[in-house]
Amino acid sequence: MADSNASRWIRFLRQYGPAAQNDSMYDEQIRKVSKRLNVSQLFFTHPIEKQLLGLFEPTASVPTSVILTGTAGDGKSNLCGKVWHQLGGDAAEWDSPEIYFQITASIGGRQILVHMVRDLTGLPPTDDRGRYASKDELLQRLSSILFSSEPNEIFVLAANDGQLIETWRRLPPSEHVLQARAVFDKLLDENRDKVEGLALGFFHLSRLPSLTLLDLALNAFLAHPGWQACYAEADEAGFFGPRCPVRHNYELLLQPLVQKRLRSLMRLCDHSDLHIPIRRLLLLLTNAVLGHPDVKDWLLKPGDVAKVINDGTVAKASLFSNIFGGNLSDSRRDSLEVFDYLNRFRIGYETSNRVDNILIFGDADDNLKPYFDELMAADTFYGADASYYAAQRSYVEGGEDGDRAAEGFLALLVSQRRGLFFKIPAQLEDELKLWELTVFKYAGEYLTKVVDVLHGGGKVERPILARLVKGLNRVFVGMLVDVDRDLLLATSLSFSGPSVGQLLEDRIPVAARKDERIELTLLLGRPAIRVQLSEALAATLRLNLTRFEFLSRVAEGALPGSFSRECYEDFLAFKSQVLASLATRRAHEKSEDAGLSFKLLSVDQVGNVTDDVIEVVP
Amino acid sequence: MIDQTIILPQPPPSDHSDNDMWLDERIWGHRLFEKQSAWLVFLECLTLADACHRDKKLLDHGTDYYPLHYRPQQRLYLRNILFNNEMLFQIAGRDHVSASAWKEWLAWMAENAKGVTPKDFSYLQSRFHSFADFAALVGMLRASAVESESNKRWSSRFVFPFGNEAIYEDLAVSHQDGVSREYINFGRAGELLYMMLARSSRAAQLIPMMTSALDGRNPWNTLLRLMQPEPPGETAWRGKSFLPYKAHPSFDRLAEDWLAIDRLKLPGFDAIPHLVTLSTLGLLLYELEVASDWANRARPHFVCEVVGPRKTLVREVSTQNYQENQLLPEEALKQAIKSLEESSDWQEALNDHGAFVKCKALIMDQFRWPDDEDYVGAHEPAALLKEFRRQAFARHKKSVANVHRAYGRDVGLVSKRGTNRLRYAPNDALLKALILANVDRRMEFNEFLERLCDRYGLIFGDKAGGKFLRKEDIDQSAFRTNAR
Repeated sequence: MADSNASRWIRFLRQYGPAAQNDSMYDEQIRKVSKRLNVSQLFFTHPIEKQLLGLFEPTASVPTSVILTGTAGDGKSNLCGKVWHQLGGDAAEWDSPEIYFQITASIGGRQILVHMVRDLTGLPPTDDRGRYASKDELLQRLSSILFSSEPNEIFVLAANDGQLIETWRRLPPSEHVLQARAVFDKLLDENRDKVEGLALGFFHLSRLPSLTLLDLALNAFLAHPGWQACYAEADEAGFFGPRCPVRHNYELLLQPLVQKRLRSLMRLCDHSDLHIPIRRLLLLLTNAVLGHPDVKDWLLKPGDVAKVINDGTVAKASLFSNIFGGNLSDSRRDSLEVFDYLNRFRIGYETSNRVDNILIFGDADDNLKPYFDELMAADTFYGADASYYAAQRSYVEGGEDGDRAAEGFLALLVSQRRGLFFKIPAQLEDELKLWELTVFKYAGEYLTKVVDVLHGGGKVERPILARLVKGLNRVFVGMLVDVDRDLLLATSLSFSGPSVGQLLEDRIPVAARKDERIELTLLLGRPAIRVQLSEALAATLRLNLTRFEFLSRVAEGALPGSFSRECYEDFLAFKSQVLASLATRRAHEKSEDAGLSFKLLSVDQVGNVTDDVIEVVP
Repeated sequence: MIDQTIILPQPPPSDHSDNDMWLDERIWGHRLFEKQSAWLVFLECLTLADACHRDKKLLDHGTDYYPLHYRPQQRLYLRNILFNNEMLFQIAGRDHVSASAWKEWLAWMAENAKGVTPKDFSYLQSRFHSFADFAALVGMLRASAVESESNKRWSSRFVFPFGNEAIYEDLAVSHQDGVSREYINFGRAGELLYMMLARSSRAAQLIPMMTSALDGRNPWNTLLRLMQPEPPGETAWRGKSFLPYKAHPSFDRLAEDWLAIDRLKLPGFDAIPHLVTLSTLGLLLYELEVASDWANRARPHFVCEVVGPRKTLVREVSTQNYQENQLLPEEALKQAIKSLEESSDWQEALNDHGAFVKCKALIMDQFRWPDDEDYVGAHEPAALLKEFRRQAFARHKKSVANVHRAYGRDVGLVSKRGTNRLRYAPNDALLKALILANVDRRMEFNEFLERLCDRYGLIFGDKAGGKFLRKEDIDQSAFRTNAR
């Protein structure tokens, strides 16, 4: 068994897992183990790979320098390696711990010296082989090459985005260094990959949607031949047998419904500006399938499986819990941003009465029974097993050691709710209010009725816009107003902070009136709310998931400060921005001085807003 | 040691005959008043600015360092209307006929207004369409008052600084209608603030910003003008505040912060709270930086904890750092006294006949102590000096020593949040003000932190401290505010 294909595959797969690793040597380590165990790596074509390698074809039009930037685990070194390979670099040399490489290649019809820095942070201050005098000198050279018209040398540089800017800020300033820094700043800021007239390809890998990367990683993961070896070598009573959690987890991950929910979470991360690098996606998948809290490195080995089955702790290996790092120690889980992000949805802890009623009373209630049977009883693996029934009974009946039993049952409920999030079928999504199992109960609507609609070129339906405007009004006015057809621009006398608006500066209608309107639109591919004040004047705010949820919750009665202070501040700042635009518009209008008048705002008991105009004789 | 070339001659003792000694004043001026809130510091600064603006020398005093005479507005008609007149709302509430309401109210004011002659407010009637309108607007103005929740007497309440018409000095009004300047709310720290701005290298650039704030081309300032008769009332000469330095880096930084906020062109009056915060922060830094100059110490730094869900090592470091800084002003005092003691004059006097009298004269000359009743001890220099030290520290502990803590808490730098000990834990409002004053473009986070460290000595996480701080602890909302 120890040297079977299946066993080697699992041993190799563990390399991607959550055990503490030396991040800077990750790529090398994977390659080494892959070679040693003779198992192929998880392989897929990176979305930018073709474009990147195209720049180094002999037929490329101009020799172009490349900067690969992004966070740890985005695949910077890996992509560098591919460039090296294409240029005919020596594989063994690349496997050395060197950071800096040189190679000459024919690009665009010329012989070009290619400098490669596979990790800017690790670049030694001086080169012991004397190929560059100092780090500063090398980077200054890079800066100059960017602006030279027909360079005979180019660079390939991989760097963390923060480090890139920081490093250039610290370089001794010269004309080219300052220019280069301005270019990097601009490219990062505007999310672009090149500047007209500059032979530079700028790839910001952290801007790639995590969803795209998940799809690639998931396919590579599921299609790896290692799994076929597992089936071929299945052990009836242990690894990859019918009761094996690894096999079951693998098969769950093949289910379209499970994939769909996981993809939804990933899209929502993208729309919350939470980027998950490739390395962490592979970790997520590996952990999801192999995870178990009671074994070494929190990952099952083939040899562990029989014991886990005999001990009756199969349920602890649940994919649904592993996806959230439920198998890891608190500190390890907290240190991995992928689990931090996924746990922000609070799946397992959020619930609705209906869902909890099904989980707790569903077995005994005639109305709920069909749901219980479909979602819980039918899942003989992680659903309602004997221990679940026992815990449920003692919880409902309140036995002698009531508190302890209750605690145990509540823990079971957490993992069952997580399971439900992946099991509730599409046709029951609305009825069971799937997204109330997360902290973002409007998340489903956000994806289907906002993001998808806007990307399809459509208009977001009116009730949603009305709700958002009502939420905005409550933030802007600071009172429980019910107005949703106009945006109320209210100020207090003094500064426009979080106080109650006493004066009505203006109303902006939601439906277009002359050049005024309010709409949901796309800003760099993401939803945004836009307040148009005149043909030229508009204020726009990105509406990420949290802000969307915030406005929706405030519209339904939540207090702004209690959901998210950060969001609240964002919207107050937005109000300030809208007011500034309004002031600009007024300055342009140059209306005839109508004397001194004040619009005092008051709110009646049902939330209607009236304004009394007071005029003063100047 | 402090750069002697920036030190001004001390003002004549007769100008400040109420001061028991002149030691804290010599170091920090007359005076840093620890009981003054950030808003009142700011308003006091504006009264001086407003008066100088009327005299056509706003922020432009050349080398006229001392005294800076000025005539602040008192605006007692306005203040009676806004803050000394509960009757207004009662009348507006029960009498809906405008003419009779006006009549009743004017009669009541003729009886009850304080500190104005004549007690005639009838000029108002023609300026408003109805009594109800008038009452509604007064109600709004009252609600805008600075620190409106505090229960101050009416003559120490201040309307929001909409413009020059809202600027007036702190007064006490006696039952006999006597009016006198009060130094409880306006304790001169605001006057020092004005002088710092005026002596900064950026003073000329500040003039347009300050002028436009004072001109107040907005409806509220106009409304306030309409609530006052012409001319708006009495003024009296003031001006014995003393700032001992011609120039100082802390003055320049303060002015730069003001200019940075101005460049953002925030709508309405949104810049004001940030100016309030940054100004008092500037005074705090002035106190400690001058102290470090005198005490021959390195420029002070402030290890700031960003309060997160869990206690971090930074808190310990910050607590200790706070305590060291708290003692820094006292070090300055010690050093000032020590340099007298080590001076050749003092050493010569010690060896002289009548050493006591000579030493006493030397202390008197520099520190204006002792008065006859201040010292009753043995007639010998060592005892005299010891007693001087004791009294000087005691006096210091009651005043300037508390500025660091009081101002620090007021601006949101110093806090006990989540613990029972004071340390530096900046709140959102302060961070926001700092971001607005320092981030004028997309800026790498570390560059921002470095800037805070360079300019203010605020340490959030240098390379070493950085690992203590979690990214999500940093106030991201404030960053977004700026990023727009």
